[in-house]
Amino acid sequence: MDFPIHLLAGFEFTTLPQQLVNGILLGAIYALVALGYTMVYGVLKLINFAHGEVFMLGAYVALFVSWAFGYVPGNDLHGGTWVHLLIMLVASMTACSLIGVFIERFAYRPMRSQPRIASLITAIGISLLLQYGGQLFLPNSPAPNIDPKINPYQGNVSVTLRAPDAALLAQAETLKKGIAEAKAAYAEQLKSEKDEFNLSPKGKELRTKSQDLERTYNDSVSKASSSALAINIPKGTLIMLVMTLVLMGMLTYLVLFTKRGRAMRAVSLDFDSAALMGINVNKIVTFTFILGSSLAGAGAMMNATFIGGIKIDTFFGMLLGVKAFVAAVLGGIGNIPGAVLGGLLMGVAETLVVWAGYDAYRDAIAFVVLIVVLLFKPGGLLGSAKVEKV
Amino acid sequence: MKLWGVRLASIALALMFCLGLDSVASHQNSFIQRLIVLAGLYVTLAVSLNLINGITGQFSIGHAAFYQVGAYTAGYLATLFFSKSHLTGGAWLFLMMIAGAFAAAVAGLIVGLPSLRLKGDYLAIVTLGFGEIIRIVVQNQQAIGGAYGLTVSPRFQYIWIVWMLAFLCIAICRNLLKTAHGLPFLAVREDEVASSAMGVNVTMVKVTAFLIGSAFAGAAGALLAHFEGFISPQIFKMDLSFIIVTMVVLGGTGSITGSALSAMVLFYLPEKMRDMSDIRLSLLLGIALSIAFAVAAARYVMYNIHGAASKRVGMYAGIVAVGIASSYLLGALFNFAHPLQATVEGAKLRLVVFAVTLIVLMLLRPQGVFAHHEFSWDFVKKLMGRQDVKTTEVSA
Repeated sequence: MDFPIHLLAGFEFTTLPQQLVNGILLGAIYALVALGYTMVYGVLKLINFAHGEVFMLGAYVALFVSWAFGYVPGNDLHGGTWVHLLIMLVASMTACSLIGVFIERFAYRPMRSQPRIASLITAIGISLLLQYGGQLFLPNSPAPNIDPKINPYQGNVSVTLRAPDAALLAQAETLKKGIAEAKAAYAEQLKSEKDEFNLSPKGKELRTKSQDLERTYNDSVSKASSSALAINIPKGTLIMLVMTLVLMGMLTYLVLFTKRGRAMRAVSLDFDSAALMGINVNKIVTFTFILGSSLAGAGAMMNATFIGGIKIDTFFGMLLGVKAFVAAVLGGIGNIPGAVLGGLLMGVAETLVVWAGYDAYRDAIAFVVLIVVLLFKPGGLLGSAKVEKV
Repeated sequence: MKLWGVRLASIALALMFCLGLDSVASHQNSFIQRLIVLAGLYVTLAVSLNLINGITGQFSIGHAAFYQVGAYTAGYLATLFFSKSHLTGGAWLFLMMIAGAFAAAVAGLIVGLPSLRLKGDYLAIVTLGFGEIIRIVVQNQQAIGGAYGLTVSPRFQYIWIVWMLAFLCIAICRNLLKTAHGLPFLAVREDEVASSAMGVNVTMVKVTAFLIGSAFAGAAGALLAHFEGFISPQIFKMDLSFIIVTMVVLGGTGSITGSALSAMVLFYLPEKMRDMSDIRLSLLLGIALSIAFAVAAARYVMYNIHGAASKRVGMYAGIVAVGIASSYLLGALFNFAHPLQATVEGAKLRLVVFAVTLIVLMLLRPQGVFAHHEFSWDFVKKLMGRQDVKTTEVSA
């Protein structure tokens, strides 16, 4: 059977590298949030439905800090520095870890002796409470956004993969000279005309000629540029990617090379045995929530600040939370490198769906991936496929 | 013979109740009629979800999807065929209920199949995912109105049919529990491995539960489409699934009585809040803090005060009284803070009520108000002091 090539005809392959990069940038945020899901699941075997809402509150904290710096709507300030960004990041991470610990202490800990489904229902309840209760207390209509001017790193970093076609560029260059001449002739003619809107036949002819030339020029310039293959990355999102990598490095250090991290791994391996071995399980669970929630806070702050024009409302974290959860499942839930891998794959998958023209289905792809993974490889990509015994 | 008499009597009673309700409601305004119809639909939804969640123990949070499939099937068929069919309203509605139930059952079969491999929270999230996929797909089909919604041209507002469906659903679930056909469902809920070792076909049971539950939701959806005359994907969002789950959980997972009653209560209270006057944020904050303290106090009493139950009942009553008083006191206190003097509409509180209900319920009584118990005349007799009652525990 030969491949139905006509199905690919609509795809713009020159934009593919750009879309892949966009997908990785989006995936970095998913990965940060997915880490929170995966760590909590590893330790408590609980899907923390409220994690997306912690993310949402982190974005709000970043917004309030930016307002405190004077970047309120209507106040045209310039000159944000990296110090502003750092304070926003730290505030968001701190607030989120406090919220996460609070939720764990007062909602999840009392449920620990109950069946797992009871904790899940509590988590759904907390999530609904933060979404709809937040609507009462947080500014949400019109949905505010963080003033992009607080970010001093504007503009793009451009990477050229393939230079534009030289022949087309040369053609455009030759046209440029002709345009200048035609424009000059038209300007000369204008001086002898009465007014611009009632031209004599000669003037009309000159005008048409200069306009035609300009059109051909623009055409060939755009042809030349679409023959090129370049990737534009906004500097802000590049910072976001770097920060994500730094945070993940710190997390890896904390989990793999510190005493507390070792205790955390022990708790996630076997909760009861860890307690019998003298590990303060409650402390470790709190620590896990601090780590996960602060990563969500960092993700929220960077997402809301560096990606221009993102509106914040109380449902900001809902879909993103679900997608990040899917990323955690895709990578193998409870597995930290898996969450990162899953996040990146989810980001790429989503941008590819948009790139393929199925923009309306960009939110559905997460669920499709989830169902496919759970049906065919329930352990996830990096997780161990262990059968759950009753 | 006696059994048949009781059965016929209860069927007649249900019919009379529905027709009576219909004739009473026909004198009311359209708002109250709508409330009565939606209450009936919610009872159907909650009881049918209870069959999946409570009785079979497969935690599904995507029930709105089946409701949607039924509604859109009926709505689309009505726009295509109703004018050619020459059927009366009642017959058409009956036909559409069957069509909606069939379509939703097919969807239920598709969702039920993964439940064979998944359990617990994974199954929950997959059902949620299926619900969202169905909604997004419907939203992008221009033939059925897309995101703008679908106008269902003949509107039939037969209240008695809605409530007959609710009674049918209750009756089927109740009979399933009371007979040998229902025992495998309970067995699967209690222990899957043990029940399969005892010869229960676990696969069959799970899929059957999904089929029956989703079929009733689909039939309810068909009635909704014809009652409202307009359906859109916005109605069937995740929130609706959560609302139905809250109803089941509040009533007690596994209790049909509980699901039906809590469906009506949880439907009516938030509707009542729609026409509530604006509430000050200070009072809201006071109520929230009081609820938190009351829950903490109740938990303390529950786990630390032992002895006669009557002692604790008095304490619970005291906690409720103190909670109500403190919410007003705190509200008055917070009112001094300027930003808290702002007001919000009562309608915005609807889903907050569901969220708070879920959390408080889980903290205080995770098995739900009725737990696994059902309403029975024996229980009433016991309450009245008649001793000669043989206790029949159907589901422990």
